[in-house]
Amino acid sequence: MIPTAAVLALSAILFSIGLVGAMVRRTAVMVFLSVELMLNAANLLLVAFARAWGDLVAQSAVFIVMTLAAAEVAIGLAIIVAIFRKRVSTNVDDLAELRG
Amino acid sequence: MLILFAIFALLIISGALVTILAQNAVHAALGLVGTLLSLAVVYVMLEAHFIASVQVIVYAGAIMVLFLFVIMLLDAARPVKSENPIPFVNEIAGGAAALVSGAMVFLVVNYKDPKPLEAAAAALQGGAPGPVGENLFTQFLLPFEAVSIVLLVAVVGAVALVQRPETKDEELPEYSGQMDGARVRPPSSLAGTALTLEHYEDSPNPIPSSSELKPKLETAKLEAAKLKAGGAL
Repeated sequence: MIPTAAVLALSAILFSIGLVGAMVRRTAVMVFLSVELMLNAANLLLVAFARAWGDLVAQSAVFIVMTLAAAEVAIGLAIIVAIFRKRVSTNVDDLAELRG
Repeated sequence: MLILFAIFALLIISGALVTILAQNAVHAALGLVGTLLSLAVVYVMLEAHFIASVQVIVYAGAIMVLFLFVIMLLDAARPVKSENPIPFVNEIAGGAAALVSGAMVFLVVNYKDPKPLEAAAAALQGGAPGPVGENLFTQFLLPFEAVSIVLLVAVVGAVALVQRPETKDEELPEYSGQMDGARVRPPSSLAGTALTLEHYEDSPNPIPSSSELKPKLETAKLEAAKLKAGGAL
């Protein structure tokens, strides 16, 4: 049996890596990839706690989170494509103002 | 079991590091695929078989294919060269990561399992599709149906966003900086001035006719040197 604490530590490392990536990278797609890393760290935590409590509710929550992540990626990538058509740039710093 | 977990934990972490450190976005996406597949293996070890299969099919399959499509569609594989405008961003990011890690280390050190692990894991029935589906369609029925609406909205929204607006020709975006070779090529009347010729030599994509222009460049450089010398005198 893998101790739950070990899974927690792995999840913390994964989340920290994703956090650093989301803050440091400048390409919109790369920021998105880092956000996916953080989502997966949260999922890993949920699965670990589902086993610790012996409750399937957390696994159902992971299923819902995965579906929402898919929807988020579809919308987010569509926004990136739309912005790229207008600006010919994937740098997030080029979008610093609110005007279209 | 523990050794296997350690191996896959290492794979997860190295894949995540590749994801955030790779200069090429395609390499980063493939690093994330490695992380997601290793995570699926860890899910199996944690008695979540259905979630593991969904992870492989939806995450590593569908979502990453979408990512790779967009990366290749936008030619985003090239790294963005600009400086980060936030001052000390690396230090701030490192500090934030250290804060999160520190808080999690505190949790990990103080963590105690609420129940004996063996008994709790047995109650999961291996996280098979049957038990998980039963929970999903009873206790989680409302979120499940709500997610279906979210997915519908996402599909409609994505199509609406990506649809090409019926623009006239003058409204098309200017392709500045995207096609270096095309942008650098000056009108033929400019050939002969020292400035444009030097620009030719320095440009990363020299146009094919630059060899013809080389003699002119030499003379232009000579003239420029003469001018400089004259100015010094």
